[in-house]
Order: sequence, then C-alpha cells, then structure tokens
Amino acid sequence: MRTATVLLALAALLIAAALLAAGIGPYRIPPFAVLDALWQRLIGGPVQTTIDTVLFNIRLPRIVAAGFVGAALAAAGAAYQSLFRNPLVSPDILGVSTGAGLGAVVGILLGFPVAMIQLLGFAGGLATVIIVVTLARALRSSGDVLVLVLAGIVVGALAGAAISLVKVLADPYDQLPAITFWLLGSLSGVKAHDVAATVPVVLIGLAPLILLRWRIGVLSLGDDEARALGVEVGRLRAVVIAAATLVTASVVAISGVIGWVGLMVPHMARLLVGPRFDRLLPAAILLGAAFMIGVDTLARSAARIEIPLGVLTAVIGGPVFVWLLAYNRRKLLP
Amino acid sequence: MTTASRRRVLAALLGFVAAVTLSQTAPAVARTVTDSARRNVAVPDAITRVFAAGPPASTMLYALAPQDMIGWVRAPREAEKPYLLPATHALPELGRLTGRGDTLNLERLLAVKPEIIIDYGTINDTYRSLADRVQSQTGVPYLLIDGHFENTPTSLRLLADVLGVRERGEMLAKAAETILARVDKTIADIPAAKRPRIYLARGTEGLESGSKGSINTEIIERVGGINVVEGLREKGGIVRVSPEQVIAWAPDTIITLDRSFKDSVAQKPEWKAVPAVANGRVFLAPSLPYGFIDAPPSLNRFAGLIWLLHTLYPDRIDGNLRDDIRAFYKTFYQVEPNERELTTLLSGAGG
Amino acid sequence: MMLLDARDLTIGYGRTAIASGIDLAIEPGTVTCLLGPNGIGKTTLFKTLMGLIPSLAGTVRLDGEALAQLSRERIARHIAYVPQAHPAEFTYTVLDLVVMGRTAYLGTFGAPKQADYAAASDALEQLGIGALAERDSTRISGGQRQLALIARALAQQARIVVMDEPTASLDLANRILVLDTVKGLAARGLAVVLSTHEPEHAFLVADKVAILGRDRFVTGPATDVLTPAQLSSLYGVALEVETTPSGRHVVGPAAS
Repeated sequence: MRTATVLLALAALLIAAALLAAGIGPYRIPPFAVLDALWQRLIGGPVQTTIDTVLFNIRLPRIVAAGFVGAALAAAGAAYQSLFRNPLVSPDILGVSTGAGLGAVVGILLGFPVAMIQLLGFAGGLATVIIVVTLARALRSSGDVLVLVLAGIVVGALAGAAISLVKVLADPYDQLPAITFWLLGSLSGVKAHDVAATVPVVLIGLAPLILLRWRIGVLSLGDDEARALGVEVGRLRAVVIAAATLVTASVVAISGVIGWVGLMVPHMARLLVGPRFDRLLPAAILLGAAFMIGVDTLARSAARIEIPLGVLTAVIGGPVFVWLLAYNRRKLLP
Repeated sequence: MTTASRRRVLAALLGFVAAVTLSQTAPAVARTVTDSARRNVAVPDAITRVFAAGPPASTMLYALAPQDMIGWVRAPREAEKPYLLPATHALPELGRLTGRGDTLNLERLLAVKPEIIIDYGTINDTYRSLADRVQSQTGVPYLLIDGHFENTPTSLRLLADVLGVRERGEMLAKAAETILARVDKTIADIPAAKRPRIYLARGTEGLESGSKGSINTEIIERVGGINVVEGLREKGGIVRVSPEQVIAWAPDTIITLDRSFKDSVAQKPEWKAVPAVANGRVFLAPSLPYGFIDAPPSLNRFAGLIWLLHTLYPDRIDGNLRDDIRAFYKTFYQVEPNERELTTLLSGAGG
Repeated sequence: MMLLDARDLTIGYGRTAIASGIDLAIEPGTVTCLLGPNGIGKTTLFKTLMGLIPSLAGTVRLDGEALAQLSRERIARHIAYVPQAHPAEFTYTVLDLVVMGRTAYLGTFGAPKQADYAAASDALEQLGIGALAERDSTRISGGQRQLALIARALAQQARIVVMDEPTASLDLANRILVLDTVKGLAARGLAVVLSTHEPEHAFLVADKVAILGRDRFVTGPATDVLTPAQLSSLYGVALEVETTPSGRHVVGPAAS
C-alpha cells in the first residue's frame, strides 16, 4: 500500500538525518571517524578519546532527545487536531507548554538545580492541564470540546501572566537570561541521563495514541457521530488528553518551549499520507523526529553560539506553512 | 516711644523675621552640575540623602559616601555583611529604579525624601529620557554617571565633586588608576600567542557565557585574556553555547561564578576534554560583598582585576593576593576582613 | 417482533423535560417518519432512542434489553445514525468515511481489514455511488454526501437506521433518490426511522408516522395521523390535504 511505502521512506529519512547530524558539529570529526566510533562502540570497548566524548556524551544524547521532542510534539499536535476537529490546533491548546514554562521559570527564580527545574517544568505542564480539565468539567453542560478550549485559553493566559511576573521579579543579571533562554527552547545542555529519564515517559504516552489510532480518527467526526459508531467518546477523550499532555510535558521539561512543530508537522504528514489519523500518526511521529533533528543540528552548528530552537522552528515553520497553504490548498483545507 | 522710633523697631523686627523665615524656606539649591550625559542639573549645596537607582550606582555610592546612603537596592545578605561597613547593615531595602520600565513606585521614592538620584551605567538616549522624566515628575535631581569601565576614575571624580567628598574621590580615583596601570604593566610584554584563552562559565551548567565585547567579560578582556566566545555582534551580550563548542574552542582557563559548577566540572566527561578542565585551571571568582567579575558592573570589578592578575599571571606579578585584596577592601569598602573572612572570600564563597 | 421499543419515555436535558409519555415501537422492514415543528425535540428524541443521551423517565429497549445497560459498541452494531450531511474539517475520501462505519466490529485497538473495505465498497455500490470511492468527501455534492453517510450506515450492518432530516437542503433529484433508497432499505428488512418537515414525504414512504407536538405524541398510519386537523394544529397554520387522482397526497395552505 502507498502508506507503507511512505512510512518506510520516512523511517529511512529519520535514520539518515540522525547519522548526518552525528557527523556535524563545531568539533571536527571526519565522517569515517564517526562511523568508526559508532562501530567500535557496538563491538568493542569504548576508547576514551575526545571524539568518543563528543559523539557519545554530547551529540548522540542531543540527537536522540531532538528526535523524541519532535516525535512527541507532532503526535500530540495530530491527536489534538483530531480531538478538537480542527487542523489548526497545537499541543499547547490546553496550556501544557505555558504551564511547563511557568513551573520551570519558577524553579530558575528560586535558584534550584537543573534536575529540579526540569521536574517543576514537567509538573507545571501536568498541573495546568488538570486545572483546565477540571474547570471545563465544572462548567460544561454538554460534552462539548468548546468549553475545554475556552478553559485552556483562560488558564494558559493566567500562566503566561505569571511567567511575566516571574520575569519582573528575577535578577536581571543572573536569572533573567536563563529564563529567556529556557522560554525560547534549547537542547544545548542535554545529557544522556536527561534522555534516559524522558524517553520512557514519551514511549508510555505514545503507546495509547498509537494503539487507539483508529478510534481517535473517528473522534474527528464529532461526538454524536463517533458515539453512534461505537466509540466511548468521553473515555477516549480523557485518554488522548492524558497521553498528549504526558508526552508534551516531558519533552518541554528538557527542551524548553518550542512552538510550531506540533502544528506544522501534522500538516506536512497529511500531505504525504492523507488525513486519516491511523496513517497520519506514524507519519507525523517519524517526520517530527527527523524535522527536529534537522532543526537542532542547525541550532548548534549554524553559528558559534546556540540559536534558540523556538526561533528556528518559527522562522522555518512560518514560510513553510505559507507555502503549504498556497500550493496544496485543495489537499489541506476543505 | 516716638512714632518714628516705633516704626524703626517694627521695621527691624520685620526684617529679622523675614531673614529667619527666608533662611528656613529658601531652597538649598545653590549650584548646577553637569552629569556624564551633558545634562545640567541643579542640586543642593550640601547633600546628605542620595538614592542609588540600581546596583552599579549603589556600589559607587557605598564606596564614595556611605554616610549619604538612604538605603540599599537589595538588602545585604548575612554572608555579605562582614565585608560591608556595620553602619550600613541596617539600611532599608528600597528596590531598583533603572532599566526598561520603572519597577519602583515613584511615590515610594519621594517618601524616602532623596536629595538627588544617581544612576551609573550606559549613557544613551533611552536612559537620558528616563532621567529627564523622573526628574520632572518628582522634582528630584537625577544624575547619569558614565559606567564605562575605562572611565571609572573620571566618574569617581565627577561623583565625588557632586557629593562633596572631593578628597576621598581623588584618593579612590588614584587607586583605580594605579590598578589599571599595574594591569597594563603586567601584560605589556606578553605576546598575543601567549595570552590566556578564557571561557567565562555562568550558571550551574556552565553553558551560559558572555561573548566578546560584552559587559560581562569586559574585565577578563581588560587583563589581556582572550575571550573564546565569539558572538554574533561586535559588542556582545549573554549567549548560550553547547559543550561541544567549548571543546572546539579549547580554552586553557575557565572562570566560573558558580560553586556547584566548579565542584562538579572535573567529573563531567564532556568537560574533561576541555584543556582548562584537564589541567585544573578552573577558577571560582569571589563575590563578597560584590562579584569580582561581572555583577554588578561597577567599580567592584577592580577587585576582579587584582584577582585576575594574580590568578592568570602569578609569575609576573609581585606582591601577595591576600595583601592586595585586604588593601583594596580597606581603601574602597572601608572594612578590614580578618584572616578567616579573607579566606572565605577568596575561596569563592557566596557564589 | 420489535427491534426498538420505547415505553412511557420522557425526553429532555438535565432537569428540563421536553416531552413525556412517548410510546414508540420500531419494527423491522418498516419506515417510520417523525414530524414536528422546529425546536420541538425531534433530534432529542432521536438521540434518546439511540442512547446518545439518557431518558429522564421510561426506558428504551433494544431486542428486549435496556439501552442503558448496553455498551456503545453493542448499540452501534444494531443502530446506525445518519446525520444531516455537513462539510467536514478533514478531507477524507468517501471510502474512508464509509469504512468508519465498521468501527464497532474492529475491537478497541483494531484497524479496518480487507473484509471491512469490502463491506464499505459494497455499501457504496448498493447505493449507486461506487464511482465516488476515492473522491474527496468535501468536494462532492450535498446529495452525494448524504448518500455516502447512508452507505456508512449500511456498512455498519445495523438493523435500525436513524436518519435526521435526510432530505433537507437537497435538490429535487437528490430528494427522490434518498427517498427511494429509504424504501429500498426497508424492503431489505431494515427498520428506518427518519425525521422530516415534509408531510408529503411521509405519505410517500412511511409505514408509520409519529407526530411530536407541544402536548401530544401520536403514532399510526399516515392517512390516520396526518389529517388536516392534526397537521394544522401541529404547525399552527391552517392546512388541508388533497388526494390527487393518481393517489398522491398534497399538503398545502387551506384555501381561504
């Protein structure tokens, strides 16, 4: 089937991107040396040269992290677009990124170590969505998703205001730069143990989305129709929100706030495999991972200093989105 | 009494009353000074209550005329108190006035009755207009003093003149000039190839730095160090870097402001590949009561110059670091830390 | 033999009752038409009959079992819902739209297989729109979309098909097509329940008519229920029913 071919091609793209990224960086390592080091790691004992350090302690954790960040954000974006029946929805619609941002900048303000800041970010993201869902549940009369969206806007705005307050209170010499960089997104400090902590959580969150992908697609028809077709809408919605929140909060905790990926990659994937969610999800995951690896490679090698990821995704995402709309209107918009 | 003599007494009485009244209510504004931004500001003759608009100004004020301080921008922490004049410990915390957007309520400013406000830092149109606005809104004279590192002696003299502490100002200015001369002499004959390549590590991860030309690394570059961080602009700012980039730059010296970074860096594999870490040349900058390297960007950094000279060029400099620092603290901060306090300070505590 | 049986039903939302005392029995191979003015609660009644919203009082039984006790999936295998055709947000192909009707047979984690696609294609063929299978469902006509939704109900292999105003906003040709399809479904043994604003359509296809009025719920054959008196009081305007020589019924304003 055509879809299988596309997915295989995307998987190949992902692997190629990862290998290419492993060979790019400010510390010169010739391509042969990269492959050799990888091979050595696989078969023999590790050799503690600088090449090894750069590859396995700095570049590879970062590449893996970037892949999972892209995959998580794309999956969450695609799932929410189905859930809210709107192709213009991003993973932050219920405020998870803003809430994670608030948790993390409070951690920076209070001078906590990095691990704590990440934990606070994760907790902030989860807590925000819990508040939004609780608020929506208290307000709604019918099971309409509109109330969820409105609650998400309100709580997200409050979290954003709180972030601004933290910026005002922060020490402009010591803390404000750190806060600014965090809110723009970066993987520069990612270490192997960050990856080890994040990957399992992302996999746990992606599992239900992948397993239930057919039914999540049916959700896009609307609550009544989906129910009439045999889907327990309320329960499925809860699972999707929980899974999307889990994956998004866990990657934002290590990478900071990165926008556009969750909105744009599902669109690009839709162009390749069509709008059916059971085909869209795997395509979005693979494409998101490859995309983010590419962007992060650019972020760390285009200039001597790090370019924030959020800036790059917006700068790349905007024009790409416009191009998509212009040339593919028929396939994208009804 | 006759009418004429009564009139004379009355006139004398009136004249006396007038003289007394006028002398009480006449504004003490008796002179005009020119600040670093070429603004002519009318200030009182004798000044006893000065508001410092931000930490850099506060440091200058403390050094020149601690007796005129109304309060601190931020109250001193316990660890900082041994290195500050006891008389200033209990001064109230007032908050900061400078920067984009006033965070200090102007009414609160007036409530502490300042006679003048001093601001020490960049001179540009933004800050000029801020100064004019606050001045016209509150009626309190607002002086902008150039915070350029090289102009510190000039600024010291200017501010001393305004505050009426010329003698002390001259002394401090000369001390600052002496330090600068000492720096120039020490590094004069070091060829460019032998200059130390330095990376300033900020934050617990050490991945934040100041790029070339930034105010954060100014004094590192002033003592002849080569800042390995090349930013995107001529005059840089704070940037983020990746550990791989630091390995590529291969600095031979790392200066850090964070104790946990210094303690843990030798164990981190991605940092071990950096020559500075491999050779044990990671130095934690002291910061009591004020940072030696970059915060606040004020004359506290002259202590940093001394410290850097001893740290980077121990063979080329004579004298003893402890003695030099003790002398600096006595001259500028008017305190004499004892041996234990000096050790604590130089070990980088408080960072 | 009754497929779907509603007894003494009170329908509404939350604490607000819209109508009560409703008795309705749906039998296989019949077409039941529901009429009533706008806003009277036809959609609410349908949703209650399908178990999408709970009844305020009384029960709906499917093959003797109370709806409230059955899982969504189970209900979906017996009752299919054909909503009014509306443009969707996503550009699914017609085949994809129809194969979604197979959801109730796929299990929680399943995806459609060969057999499911075959059932979907089959349904499309039965309705004469097999050629539309790979077309973008957002770019076909309203009538075609309505037929696609009916095809989905067919693919669902449910014995009861509930249709919400299936001829609304369709042109004449498409209306005839849909009504013919409805008769064909009943002929094959399905039970069709549809709501309509056109009493004439009821005369054409209905085996049983139900009218939902402000204070009444009446069921029976069309000729018995759709009298000028009932219709006039139902819609609040004087109406009369004429029978043409060929046996058709025409409903129009009463001659003044």
